[in-house]
Amino acid sequence: MEHTGLAAVTKRPAPQGGPAPAVRSRWWRGPSWMAARLVAIYAVVGILWIAFSDVALELLVTDPAARDSLQTLKGGFYVLATSILLYLLVRGGQRRLVTLGTEIRAAVESMADGVLVIDSSGIVEANRAALDLLGVASKRDLLGPIEDFADRFRPRTLEGTPIPLSELPSALALHGVRATRETLLRRADGTEMVASTSAAPVVTPESSGLVIAVFRDVSAAHRLESMRDEFLATAAHELKTPLAVVKAYAQLVQRRVPAEAPALTVVQRQVDRMTRLVQHLLDASRLRLDPSSFVFERFDLAALLAELVSRQGATSPAHQIALSADGPVPVRGDRDRIARVISSLLDNAVRFSPQGGPVKARVARSGGEVEVSVADEGLGIPADRQDRVFERYYRAHAGTPDDYGGLGLSLELSREIVVRHGGRMWFESASGQGSTFHFSLPAAAEET
Amino acid sequence: MSRGVLVVEDDLDLLGLVEMVLLDAGHAVRTASDGQRALERVAEEMPGLILLDMRMPVMNGWEFAREFRNRHGRACPIVVVTAAENAQLRAAEIEADGWLAKPFDIDDVIHMVERFVPAAGSSS
Repeated sequence: MEHTGLAAVTKRPAPQGGPAPAVRSRWWRGPSWMAARLVAIYAVVGILWIAFSDVALELLVTDPAARDSLQTLKGGFYVLATSILLYLLVRGGQRRLVTLGTEIRAAVESMADGVLVIDSSGIVEANRAALDLLGVASKRDLLGPIEDFADRFRPRTLEGTPIPLSELPSALALHGVRATRETLLRRADGTEMVASTSAAPVVTPESSGLVIAVFRDVSAAHRLESMRDEFLATAAHELKTPLAVVKAYAQLVQRRVPAEAPALTVVQRQVDRMTRLVQHLLDASRLRLDPSSFVFERFDLAALLAELVSRQGATSPAHQIALSADGPVPVRGDRDRIARVISSLLDNAVRFSPQGGPVKARVARSGGEVEVSVADEGLGIPADRQDRVFERYYRAHAGTPDDYGGLGLSLELSREIVVRHGGRMWFESASGQGSTFHFSLPAAAEET
Repeated sequence: MSRGVLVVEDDLDLLGLVEMVLLDAGHAVRTASDGQRALERVAEEMPGLILLDMRMPVMNGWEFAREFRNRHGRACPIVVVTAAENAQLRAAEIEADGWLAKPFDIDDVIHMVERFVPAAGSSS
């Protein structure tokens, strides 16, 4: 359900009202100004006519009877002129309205996105693209109750569960809510399409009761997304399998030939590092961590920290890694991912203390939270670079003599993982005095 | 009759290593390089535990697990050993009894196996 990242990015806002303002501005600025001027001229001429025509008539015609009939004629002429003018104005206005209507209709008809106009009785209008996208031959096939639309095109979630009528974007829009969602639709020819649909109420001074729904086919983007996921899964497998072989053989030889232990420890350390890099690259190449891939379980954070500290210690002989934990610290979370967070912090602490030196790992409960911190006395992060530490790809020591490598991914991903657990990550650091990174997680509820 | 461990893995280097490690630890071990061969081994003799890789040619771990359960139900526990991104989820997909993520420590393999089958041999 959450798996809509790419489509959400590629989708542009629904183009309601797109063509309308341009047309409307022509309508107001052009012809209606002419109409206003025409009416003004008519008013001036009319006032002058009323003011002076009687005087002129009296001067020109002396016979009162003839003057009376001319007065009547003059009134008739005046009514006639007014009528003609009104007729011309009304006809012009109508023609412009018709032109406007036709232009809007043509614009909607020409849109590449499918457009449906819906009211409480169902679909009342559809454009060409809507027919094409849904694969129906004529508009008649599409117009009608929304129930018919649902029966025919079977709107489903991306996982394939039918979407109740009341949760379709158009139904939400009928209740005044703008709604956007991706749905699986079955075209008239039986093929499936992922449609991204936005529906919004048509807002007019008197509420129109209409909804405009715009949809487009995003199947291609979805296919790409699933291909990418497939590729990443394969890449993970292909990259990690040889690492598994190397590591296991190193351990085997280390058991059989204890004298070679130091060299084989290095092999394992580098394999572990490579494994972590592979994992970071895979996580980073996704737009975001897939929440459905989190496996939450109850585990003892203190035991995990102890295990990771001992592993790191075994492969970092130049550093004294001290552990401080007061008894078991139960938490609920994705153990593997939390292990990666801790490993990243330990790895950074060691990496950025090139002279060796103490590293302190600590876990403690405080209120409803548990807090893990990893402190080193190494290089520290200069104050002017601290703001960017959690940025993807940012490496605070890049381009300095203290550049000890890394991808600039682990802290960003670590923080993301912690946040997904409902926790926080932060740090204190001073250049030359080392860094302390902390993260918190909600404590697990008491076991019953 | 000692019910040994059936290791199903398409990477022959890794297969050889796991076999060696488990033999060292005193287990009876048989091997198969894909799901199809694994079904044949199972048909010969039901193992005490199956260590199952997921991505394999011919018949992958998912297909094997489905077929195994159809034929033999839960006659023997299955532990998923995978380099896939989330070993635990993969294990849940086939309702496996345990999981190991690659790369693993060989001690983890031995501990995992010993949860299900006792070592019969001498040198463990």
